[in-house]
Amino acid sequence: MTTIVESRRRLRLPSLGSAGSVLAPVVVALLVGAVVVAVTGNDPVSIYRTLAREAFGGADRVNATLAAATPLLFTGLAAAFAYRAGIFTVGVEGSFVAGGLATAAIGSHMDGVVPALGIAALLVVATFVGLVVAVLPAVLRAYARVDEVVTTLMFNFIASGLASWSVQAFFQERGQANSATAMVADAVRLPELAPPGQTNVGLLVALAAVAVYWWWTRSTTLGFELTTVGSAPRFAVAQGLRTRLVVLVALLGAGAIGGLAGGVHTLGIVHRFTAGFSAGFGFTGIAIALLARFNPVGIVAAAILFGALNSAGTTAQLFIDLPIQIIDVLQGTVMVFAVAQFALPRLRKRQAVPVATT
Amino acid sequence: MIDALIASTIALTVALVPAAIGGAIHRLSGIVNIGLEGHMLIGALVGAVASAWSGSWLVGLVLAATAGAASGLLVNLVITRMRGNEIIVGLGFNIVALGVVGYILRAGMGVSGTLRPEGLRRLPTIDVPGVADVPVLGALLSGQSPMFWFCLVLVPATAWLLGNTPWGLQLRATGALEPAAVSLGLRSLAIRDGAGLVAGLLSALGGATLSLGNVGLFNENMIAGRGYVALAAFYFGRSWPLPTALACLLFGFFDALQIRLQTGVGASADLLSTLPYLAVVVILTATALRELRRGSRRMV
Repeated sequence: MTTIVESRRRLRLPSLGSAGSVLAPVVVALLVGAVVVAVTGNDPVSIYRTLAREAFGGADRVNATLAAATPLLFTGLAAAFAYRAGIFTVGVEGSFVAGGLATAAIGSHMDGVVPALGIAALLVVATFVGLVVAVLPAVLRAYARVDEVVTTLMFNFIASGLASWSVQAFFQERGQANSATAMVADAVRLPELAPPGQTNVGLLVALAAVAVYWWWTRSTTLGFELTTVGSAPRFAVAQGLRTRLVVLVALLGAGAIGGLAGGVHTLGIVHRFTAGFSAGFGFTGIAIALLARFNPVGIVAAAILFGALNSAGTTAQLFIDLPIQIIDVLQGTVMVFAVAQFALPRLRKRQAVPVATT
Repeated sequence: MIDALIASTIALTVALVPAAIGGAIHRLSGIVNIGLEGHMLIGALVGAVASAWSGSWLVGLVLAATAGAASGLLVNLVITRMRGNEIIVGLGFNIVALGVVGYILRAGMGVSGTLRPEGLRRLPTIDVPGVADVPVLGALLSGQSPMFWFCLVLVPATAWLLGNTPWGLQLRATGALEPAAVSLGLRSLAIRDGAGLVAGLLSALGGATLSLGNVGLFNENMIAGRGYVALAAFYFGRSWPLPTALACLLFGFFDALQIRLQTGVGASADLLSTLPYLAVVVILTATALRELRRGSRRMV
């Protein structure tokens, strides 16, 4: 039967020039959310008001929002890093889980170490483990053009299956009903910035990582090549840019940042690895990167927006009986419409013949 | 023991096959459908509610298929007409579907996650006289649900439709080289919309098979990644109907084995659950190595 020609996937993102193109997905998401809320007989306006108050109304709420935004800053950055090069990784989730588990498994045996050294060592391990998860998809994509979407998607399931297996087989804390590792040593927990709030030094690490990304893409040769391969692949090949290296760096870099994110999440918030360690942070990161159009400031803004949704959703479900699933509706809708073109719908016209890019 | 394993393998395969065939059709038209999981979830919920409301499993299946067709078309319209990236749109849709279903269960129906609709009619079983008492063949062919027979017809029918009808040819042409198909006057976007509708419809039937099957209830986590396993299956089968269905059978067997082990030793069930995904990585790697050795290396 037919052989399938892998067409090169391209992101067609509307330019940043119009603020409308960035706001549109958020507006559509709020509308969809409002419809869902209204259908079940609640008042969308009062619910959105409650969410806003729970997200930003008071220092403790802002603290909770920033704590929730910290892992998203990393995963948004990881996605932006790869997508900027036109590489569609969905494997940040798997790297996040692997990095978090490795950190928890080792960190629980680190009583009495010098905090700074112990934390640095653990985060290096987490970064490395996250990178390892991405090695095979990266090599397959760079040297054999194997679709990275499928391999990274598969590796998410492989990583999470291996993680829960190894927790039960090796790291299970005694007396725990569900699978969870022991708590990490006090010495290696990331200090909180304003106790008792959960926001910790991890936020600063994340902001530093975003700053490095900003500098790296603007000021290094490889950073330039990364951007160019993503925005003009044929030009990049014609000019002899190191496209294969860019593909490797994009996938491995996204994995490494994802692993670091998991490590920081373990040491800063959860302090151990449990079932359901990642609340889909890797996928939310994709929505953040797309909404931000890979722009560093945009990543910070979008991560805070999604962090606000998560933290407000968590408390709102206690106060006003609002199922937290409404947050998934909002996040997923933003993701769908972040890549959609808000031009007049092309209902009858045939799609313009694209230049063959295979 | 063997009979029980065969029975649960078939039950799980029958839920996978429609979704995987739908995904394969969509894939042949040129679009990777990541949203199979979401369509299955919608089908499972609608099937359960409609079956209970009408008191008929057939109405349950029909309404589930209708809902799946609608969601499949809607998602595909965002991809074709609003030029949204298929991967991102699919991932986002899965998150939305899970969110909407979870929200409606809690806020609209007042249950947390599991719905046991009163009066739900499960899929009937069809006994084949004469075969029922034969040891293995009996477990294989007798006492199966109508969806089992539907799958047996669906796979060869799809292969025939794809290979021998204008629709199949146009669909494959659109997927193989869109510019050429368009230059011949094919409405490629409409063809893809049709394929998306079929993918949603079939996935929803797969989902409804789960909720109207043995247990007869709906749980928001009951799809549990099987949409992604279906995706793995049509990648494994390279979108050809028969190999895709055989991949579903293999993955259905892994799934049945995993569920069986879960009751005994929990840990190895987690390992088994990774097998379908490992299988896809292995086959993609093997295919790539073979092509590399042939020297058909292309530029990135």
